[in-house]
Amino acid sequence: MIQKYDILTQDEIDKIHHNSMRILREIGVEFSYEPALEVFRKNNQRVEGHRVYLDTEFVENMIEKAPQSFTLHARNPENNLVCGGGDALYMPGYGAPFIYEADGTKRDATMADYDNFVKLAGASKHLHMTGGTVCEPTDINENIRHMKMAYSHITNSDKVYMGSSSGYEYAMDAIEMTAILHGGKDVIKEKPALICLINSVTPLKYDDRMLGGLMAYAETGQAMVIASLVMSGSTGPATLAGALSLQNAEVLAGITLAQCINPGTPVVYGSTSAISDMGTGSLSIGNPENALFTSASAQLSRFYGVPCRGGGGLSDAKTVDAQAGYESMMLLMAATTTGVSFVLHSAGILQYYMAMSYEKFIIDEEMCGMLKRYMAGFDMSDDEKMAFDVIEKVGPGGHFLTQKHTRKNFKTEHFRPALSDRQSYDGWAKESLTACQRANAKWKSVLENYQAPALDEAVNKELLAYMEKRTKELI
Amino acid sequence: MSIFDELKEAIIEGDEDVVVELAEKVIEDQVDPVAAVQNGLIKGIEEVGKAWIDGEAFLPDVMMAADAMSAGMKVLEPELAKAQASGEGYEDKGKIVLGTVAGDIHDIGKNIVGALLTAAGFKVYDIGIDLQAEDFLNKAKEVDAKIIAASALLTTTMKSQKELIEFLVEQGVRDQYKVIIGGGPTSLKWGEDIGADGWAETADEAVELCQKLLA
Repeated sequence: MIQKYDILTQDEIDKIHHNSMRILREIGVEFSYEPALEVFRKNNQRVEGHRVYLDTEFVENMIEKAPQSFTLHARNPENNLVCGGGDALYMPGYGAPFIYEADGTKRDATMADYDNFVKLAGASKHLHMTGGTVCEPTDINENIRHMKMAYSHITNSDKVYMGSSSGYEYAMDAIEMTAILHGGKDVIKEKPALICLINSVTPLKYDDRMLGGLMAYAETGQAMVIASLVMSGSTGPATLAGALSLQNAEVLAGITLAQCINPGTPVVYGSTSAISDMGTGSLSIGNPENALFTSASAQLSRFYGVPCRGGGGLSDAKTVDAQAGYESMMLLMAATTTGVSFVLHSAGILQYYMAMSYEKFIIDEEMCGMLKRYMAGFDMSDDEKMAFDVIEKVGPGGHFLTQKHTRKNFKTEHFRPALSDRQSYDGWAKESLTACQRANAKWKSVLENYQAPALDEAVNKELLAYMEKRTKELI
Repeated sequence: MSIFDELKEAIIEGDEDVVVELAEKVIEDQVDPVAAVQNGLIKGIEEVGKAWIDGEAFLPDVMMAADAMSAGMKVLEPELAKAQASGEGYEDKGKIVLGTVAGDIHDIGKNIVGALLTAAGFKVYDIGIDLQAEDFLNKAKEVDAKIIAASALLTTTMKSQKELIEFLVEQGVRDQYKVIIGGGPTSLKWGEDIGADGWAETADEAVELCQKLLA
């Protein structure tokens, strides 16, 4: 594997760290959720109203308790994942309410789309997880959406998935359902099987909903990404160093709370900081500033000894065009090469998280494959890899196509794209398909041929019974 | 496993040494050489060719199979000639003389074309690199080829493709052969300009072209 590269000097890391600690100490963070305030009071932190002022040594000690890496357990143990183990974990986009179709049509996302994206991620060679909230299934009652989503992940694939973080109660539903799948809450407390996304409200706030979610996951020993999205210029300073300090303070405050509740509970340092477009004020994610925040966050996570979440196939484009491609590759590559462990939004995102596109999903997935190969680097482990003998055998002017050495090695040494067109002009011109058109055909055929791994009937019954009971309570 | 199946497997494996051994055994045991080609070698190369079209086999597989095929044929050639003489030869899809033109020593593309044509069932006579026009014609006459395929990789050697065709015209044999050309700097227009019967950009297109020309 190639080395993850650093973009900050140690001196720069220290500057950010001290600036963030000063923010936490002197400005403080607002927590609206009473149980969270109670936790801080118990730990002798100064609480005034909803504002919590965090002592530097206390924060540093708490961060210390978070594991450097942890395993997320899948229904199929072959799909277990180590988060923070060196590999970038890829998964679908998160939270988009719209679908942008290949012809430019915009429509609301539905549960059918949800199942489709879970299946596409389940079928993918390059995506490690089926993600979470892969789109907002707007046709499902909001009160039970979180359960329908969890059920989709559980039944359509046997990879690791994410659960709801929308308040304590909904988070617990996702955790209970995952416990049913794995054989009880005790089992998943020992072997975390669920991860969720907790977001701060920038600047310097956490709301009730997210704090409830955070507490549910921390209490049950499940993993969580604690992320901040600073929009430099609007919800944060226009200077990137200031915005990074603010993000860092927010994330560390969240991690501190999680470790107070359950020391050693697995957390991921999350960053989605980017900028506001200063013409319109809207979020913009397909830019070098986002790549910088992502890269710096990977490095800060290493400094704090926790895995990092950041980057993805991120773009502001509204359709699957060149902009969608170049922006996405920049953010996916920055995340991967600088050592982000958990790459939420790896596939499908258009227009700053607002939409999912099936075609983009397939294209992004291909990029993930390319980057996996890139990160694997050069294999120099033995003489065969150095290939002196075969170079000697072929000699000057020969060729390597008919060497056993070639046949034995090319499949593992070369990445073979599923989507990129490498034909001649004439070969291509027979159909003249763009990447988007090829991706359109590809996702349709993947869905047509997808077979979900069978789920134990007794487990399925128990899940359905749980959902039925809860649905009656919630609607 | 019959010796035919063994030959087929060895071709699929692209194992030249085993194919040569088996071919020698065919002669030793006085097995019908035509059957050995038709039920062994050709069956193997057809399977590789099909796997390649389906995207399951890759160039090294096809080229090693083609090399193994050529090596086996070389061993069997004398026996096959005898069979041919007594009217019991085997049917190939057409004979093709293939080479790189005068002044040019590039051969990787030509080799790939040769392998894929072999895998498609053509009998390919690859005469090498830096060849004069008469070299192409002599071989074509000798083996009764239907197609002459000339490769050039340099803008400076493309003219040798033109000279080859002019030579065939001068010799009064132009209409006896289909002449096809290819190579990096060549184009459909260049092919038309010099009066070639066809041009292909890639090896798989060259296969399609030959199939079309001999249909």
